[in-house]
This record gives sequence, structure tokens and C-alpha cells, in this order.
Amino acid sequence: MLATRTSPFKNVGLYAFLIIMTLIVGFPLLLMVGESFMHSNEIIRWPPIVVPQEPTFENFQKMFSQQDLQLPRWLFNSVFVAAAYSFAVITVCSLAAYAFARLRFPGRTILFGLFLATIMIPSQVTLIPNYLLMRDIKFLDTYNALIWPGVANVFGVFLLRQFFMGIPRELEEAAIMDGATRFGVYWRVVLPLSTNALIALGIYVFLNNYNDLLWPLLVTSRLEMRTIPAGLQVLNGAFGTLDRGLVLAAATFASVPVLIVYIIFQRRILKGITMTGMGGQ
Amino acid sequence: MAQAIQTLPRERIAPRIKRERWTPGRRREAIAAYLFLAPFLFFFLIFVVRAVIQGVNVSFYDWNVLAKSHDWIGLKNFEALLSDPLWWTSLRNTAIFAVLTVGGTTIVALTAALAVNQPIRARDFFRIVFYAPGVLSVGVVGIIWNWMLDREFGVVNYGLSLFGISKVSWLSSADLVLPSLSLVTIWWGFGFPMLLFLAGMQAIPEQIYEAARIDGANARRMFFNITLPLLRPTLLFVTVTQFIAQFQVFGQPLFITNGGPGQASTTVIMYLYQQAVRYLHAGYASAIAIGLAIIMITLTLLQFIFIGRRGESN
Repeated sequence: MLATRTSPFKNVGLYAFLIIMTLIVGFPLLLMVGESFMHSNEIIRWPPIVVPQEPTFENFQKMFSQQDLQLPRWLFNSVFVAAAYSFAVITVCSLAAYAFARLRFPGRTILFGLFLATIMIPSQVTLIPNYLLMRDIKFLDTYNALIWPGVANVFGVFLLRQFFMGIPRELEEAAIMDGATRFGVYWRVVLPLSTNALIALGIYVFLNNYNDLLWPLLVTSRLEMRTIPAGLQVLNGAFGTLDRGLVLAAATFASVPVLIVYIIFQRRILKGITMTGMGGQ
Repeated sequence: MAQAIQTLPRERIAPRIKRERWTPGRRREAIAAYLFLAPFLFFFLIFVVRAVIQGVNVSFYDWNVLAKSHDWIGLKNFEALLSDPLWWTSLRNTAIFAVLTVGGTTIVALTAALAVNQPIRARDFFRIVFYAPGVLSVGVVGIIWNWMLDREFGVVNYGLSLFGISKVSWLSSADLVLPSLSLVTIWWGFGFPMLLFLAGMQAIPEQIYEAARIDGANARRMFFNITLPLLRPTLLFVTVTQFIAQFQVFGQPLFITNGGPGQASTTVIMYLYQQAVRYLHAGYASAIAIGLAIIMITLTLLQFIFIGRRGESN
């Protein structure tokens, strides 16, 4: 009884906490969008304002007319590369995961152990050798350099293997009785039953690749081959503190499409992210 | 990774296979398996196995990126590293940043998960908002916060001035710069561990709480005696993976402070990047990468042993 009497009061505190958290999380984003529509004298006004008094597109116009800023191209590069990368990871990892989940073959234990051991090695160890390889096979400044080196995603194999092992064997045995090949079982039985896991992994690796900064900085130098994070680095280095309006407009341009996609597919994205984080359970 | 270790014993049945007969059916199965594995192995051998071996190899050379030939210098790169003050500074900065960020992220994520897990209105809304910064590129995060933490015109200092607090040098003071970058990173990244804690909390059976309530336990006791102990696997997973991720911090200092003031926020990966890109010292940069790898693997194993033990003693 005591608990119910104190609960309304407790909920007030709870809502206050949640609303303050929401403001802390959301305010920087509102400020970024608001100020990207302001003249420079409004941006540095004290006290600061969030809603532009005289809205202007001048920052965006400047952004699109600058020769060394190619934000639409960078956005396209980022989305294209991340999509191609995710597709490659899902294909390559699901094939390998099926072998580990269902087939018996010599070297299985050793290989899986070797894969897991490499999770411990930070990716920076492979950075310079892979850069040198990209240079030697003339992949620098191409989409190839941005897509292929990370495709052997051990985490992806692990996640999908866990999921595939949970699929009832009877379904696969029935397909084999009907004359399906191994690949037929993988393609017609296992993959259709695993769309949730495949989409979850896809979202996870898409976001990781989309946000990668170090690798694109190393392997791209031509402006039109930059991705959003690497391109913003060029922009920030050149205009960082000189032209806040321009930099904030670029940040707005780079993040609003992503935020819209996030809000539309939030249910799927949050579920997928949770699922990958929990190792497919 | 927590899951990885739990499932390893399952693999122990494999040696039994050796004693079985090598029938045509088994051979066909093995061939099929390697065909399924072939694409993955192709990429794995080139971009992981070969790269790790070459990474170790390069670290024994005076390897300039542009030079045609390279001199083998044995352990000289590692000797230079051990007496390189910038290496030690960057390592110290990285360690401070990682500890602050992992601690802060875990606490904020756990608190947020607890709040969102209550039977309240609009819990989906709060969940969506709290994860939102996680989809932003580090560049966007850097641009926003470099401006918000500006000493003269930044919103944060304006907010503090309303409470009579004078201007704080968030990014230009050597003492404050790492905590500032850490706060930015917590803002950016607490959503993911929050989702994991939420999933962990929802997996705890409601009956346990009911039983505790009948025994007269209050909310605080239920949190410390039920929720927290049952969240231990998630907690282990979050702290270990967060630690690995935060030790590799690069984008936030690059965008927000460029490693400054002085070298106060230069991290190990930033230093590696400078050596490789600005000075083209591939050999020395590889030695930095291997030094970092050794430290990270050691710390990860220690974390497993430490947190794993504490779990058993309870």
C-alpha cells in the first residue's frame, strides 16, 4: 500500500528526469538545424537563439557553390559504399555461418577459433598493410578500397551462426528429402527464415561503415571520392572556426537525411541494433 | 564477446569426428562446407591474416611509405616507442578518456534504461530520442560540440552564466579537454548500451520482483539485489566492448580539438595517423598499432578475469 501512495510523486521525478535528458540529447540537434539558417551575426548573438529571426539559405547556397565542397556527392558515396558493403557482408558471412552452423568438416574447430581470436586484434594493426595493398593494386580513390577490406566480418559470422543454429533441423531435413541441395537448403529454407537477423546485421554494419572515418581518410584523397565523415574533416579543417554557418549547414545537410530514415524505420532499427548487440538472441 | 566464450564448449564435440569413417557422404559434406566458406576465407586471408602478418613485419623496418626499398632495423621502432614522450602522452590521454567515457556511458545508459523501463507514457518516444545521436557521423558530432563548447559564444557557457558561473575553457584547458571530449562521447553513444540494458531488464522474470515486493523490498533494494546481479552478463559485455571502442578514439579529438591544446588530447590512434600520413613512417606507425594491440588484449583479458571472478564469488 505504501508503494502505491508514493508512486505519483515518484513519477513526477521520473518524468522530470526523462524530460531533462530529452532536452540534453535533442537541444544540440535543434541548435545545429536552427543556426544553419542564420546569418553569421545571428549565430554569434549573445544570448544565443535557436530559432532564426530572419531565416536565410545563404549558408546552404555557399555550401553548394564552393568548388572544394561536394556534399551531395559525399552523401551519395557514403550511402552507396555502406549499402554495397552491407550487402557483401550479409552474403559472405551468411554463407560461412551456414557451414559453421550445420556442416561437419575437418578444420572446423580450428577455423572458428582463429576467427574468434582475431576479434581481439584491434583493426588498426591491419590498417597500414591494407593501405599499402590498396596502393599497390591501384585501388586508392576507388569504391573498391572503401567496400572490400572489411567484408570478412567475424562478428557477422558469429551472429548468424548463433541464429542459424536456432532454426529447427527438421525443416532442413524435409527440404533435403524433397531433393534440395545444400545450397538449396541455405537459399530456400535458412535465409527466408532469418530475414530478421539478416536485416539486423545489415543495419548494424551499415551504420558502422557509414560512420567510419579513419579508413576513408587514408584511402581517398580526391574530393569526389570522400565519404561524409572524411569530407566533413576536410571542410572542418578549412572552415572550422572561420565560418560557423557554413560548417553547421554542412552538418545539417549530412545528418537530416539520416535522422529522417531513422525516425521512419525506428522500430526496425532499434530492434536490429538490440539484436546484434545481444549476439542474435 | 561474452556470448562467444559461453558457446565455446559446444565445439568440444568436434574431435569425435576424427575417429569416424571417411565416407563419400562425409567427403561431399566437407567439400560443400569449404565452398560455403570460400568467399569469407578469401577476404579473411587477404585483409586479416596477411595484413596482421605484414603489420608485424613492417614494424621491424624503417619503412617510408614512398620509398622503394626499406631497411630492416629489428626492434629499433619499439625501442624508439618506449622512449618516445609523445607515445606515452597519447597513451595516458587515451587511458584517461577511455576510463571516463566507459564509466560515464555505463552509468548514464543504465539510468536511462531504468527510467525508460518504467510503466510510463511515451516510453517509445524517449527510447527513440535517446538513441538518435548514435546515428550521427562523428564529423557532425564534432562540428556541433566544437561550437557548443566554444569559450566565447558557446551555448554551454551561456547556460552556465545564467547560474552565475563564469566562462569555462572546455576545449582550451589541458585539464578539462579530456573530460569535455568524454562528455561529448557519452552524449553520442549512450543509446546503444541503453538498448542492451533494456533488453537485459526485460528478460528478468516479473515473478522475482513480485516475490521481493511481498517480502517488503523497496525499489532501491530490488535494483541492487535483483536487477544489477541479473544484468551482470550485459554489464560485462557493455564495459568490455565499450572499453575496446573508446580506446580506439580518433574522430572526436580530430574534429573538436585536433589533439590540442598542445598534446593534451592527442590519442594513440591520432598519433598513429600523424606518423603514417604526415610523416609517412609506416614502420613506426605499425609499431604503435602493435603496442596498442598488446595493451588492449591484455586489458580485455584482465577485465574478463576480474569481472568474471567477482561474479563467481557472489
